[in-house]
Amino acid sequence: MGLTDKVNFPQPAKFILNWGRKYSLWVMNFGLACCAIELIAASTSRHDFIRLGVIPVAHGPRQADMLVVAGTLTDKMAPALKRVYEQIPEPKYVISFGSCSNCGGPFWDSYSVTKGVDQIVPVDVYVPGCPPRPEALLEGILLLQDRIGKESLKEHYQRREAEEPEPAFTSTVPIVVGGGSISDTSIRDE
Amino acid sequence: MTPDEIAAHLTEATGAAERSDVAHGEVSVWVPNDKWVEVATHLRDCGRCHFDLPTFLTAVDLEEQGFEVVLHMYSVRRQHHVNVKTQLARDEPRLPTLSGVWNGLNWCERETWELFGIDFTGHPNQVKLLLPVEFEGFPLRKDFLLMTREAKEWPGLKEPAEVEH
Repeated sequence: MGLTDKVNFPQPAKFILNWGRKYSLWVMNFGLACCAIELIAASTSRHDFIRLGVIPVAHGPRQADMLVVAGTLTDKMAPALKRVYEQIPEPKYVISFGSCSNCGGPFWDSYSVTKGVDQIVPVDVYVPGCPPRPEALLEGILLLQDRIGKESLKEHYQRREAEEPEPAFTSTVPIVVGGGSISDTSIRDE
Repeated sequence: MTPDEIAAHLTEATGAAERSDVAHGEVSVWVPNDKWVEVATHLRDCGRCHFDLPTFLTAVDLEEQGFEVVLHMYSVRRQHHVNVKTQLARDEPRLPTLSGVWNGLNWCERETWELFGIDFTGHPNQVKLLLPVEFEGFPLRKDFLLMTREAKEWPGLKEPAEVEH
């Protein structure tokens, strides 16, 4: 990884480096259910997340920067998700798209559905909805880009080495599109 | 053949039909366990029946009455349906396999074994198809506990039939 994991760049260099990274996000599309259709819709002409620099359908996980888990993850599929995530090179980011991948959604009591992909991979942005509209994904991408822009790559790598199964931004809580936070215990305990 | 004619034909030809019932234009015929393969072979080979498409095979959990295995059959040539059913005891439910009669029922039986715990004797490859190999229990049995529901009741609106008056 060279210099980026050893040196804290001065602000202008950091800005330019992060500016380049945040507008060139290759997406690994992990589409599992109906949410995948909304994800595809977000990539096509009407919503068009390519204008935000998000490039759909990386050639494979090794060429991707970002993983979008869209749909219902089952316990049987979970090892495949873990493997895809581990194949993506650092720095990598995960968006959990839709209620099923956030928490199990309508399959909250199922015997076979993983209730939340954050049990398997660290999630940076949660997009709620069943399925969310493409605009919700656009907002999730903007929030992710905002954080990438402010990020220090050195700290990113240090956190990854210290505690692997953590979201990229452990200093701040994971983002939930539309407000709220899963780390807010007053919401969770209700 | 009409549904009633199919029921009469099966009673006459195999002597196996215990009872029959016509609902929604389709006939259901109950047969004893030991005639299960014999009846299925007859449905395939008999020229009047000519059932050439086994649509589906599954089971129903009838709780204290045990299980009911259901075979849905369709004839593309004659354009008629039949549902063949058989009842099994709740303890160690076991039925001879039909995968030798129709290859296509192989996966249906694997799925039924995996989700209901009904053992299909003679099945060539009775291993898990849908669930992870470590999974324990038979999730479509009515006594299977959904741990999430044990911890918390369904928080939303209930079906009208489930509401206590």
